[in-house]
Amino acid sequence: MTTRVITIIGFAVVIIALAGLEILGRRKNSPIPALGELLGYAMRPRAGRFLILLGWLWLGWHFFSR
Amino acid sequence: MVTEETPQWPDRPPARLRLPAVSTRRARRSLIGAALVTYAWFAGTTTPFTRSALLIVLVPGAVVGMIAYGRPPQRIPPPESLDLTGSTYWLIAIAALFEWEASAFRDFTSTWHPPLSDLINPVLGVHPVKAVAVLAWLLAGWGLVRR
Repeated sequence: MTTRVITIIGFAVVIIALAGLEILGRRKNSPIPALGELLGYAMRPRAGRFLILLGWLWLGWHFFSR
Repeated sequence: MVTEETPQWPDRPPARLRLPAVSTRRARRSLIGAALVTYAWFAGTTTPFTRSALLIVLVPGAVVGMIAYGRPPQRIPPPESLDLTGSTYWLIAIAALFEWEASAFRDFTSTWHPPLSDLINPVLGVHPVKAVAVLAWLLAGWGLVRR
């Protein structure tokens, strides 16, 4: 197994874990928050709102502009 | 039997008056949806590292910024508090993603340890895939504005 394959498996594991957390978070009475709740909580202060929106813009620039 | 004591829901407008409002809202949503799909489809045709590729990100960014700070829509109320353990799971997973990505940059060996963007870019080279990704990004932006 090459290191490239290990890297890809690593990314897949993390992304599956993130998707799993979202699924768990959407269940009723789950202690795990859904991503929207987590972001909503982080966006309560004005600075948090600005930084999250900036992160969204950066993602778009990173994947679609370059 | 209807008597004078029967509640009439005075604050509820008659059905005849509500219908146009619903259909207007639906028409507006359909129009915005069609505009977003068209925009995403056009954005999918842009070539990276060009001015148009930059503009397809900056224009929605400016619009979202103006909406978020100028005319914010009705926001979804954020939770008063979060479960610490549950939130920690998220932080661990996000930190793992960043660590895995950062180690790719540290090694700087795209063939051995490629960063996520190197893996995703060939997929985004396919026009419909990029258009769907742009649409998802736009919807995510709108979702964030409502938070």
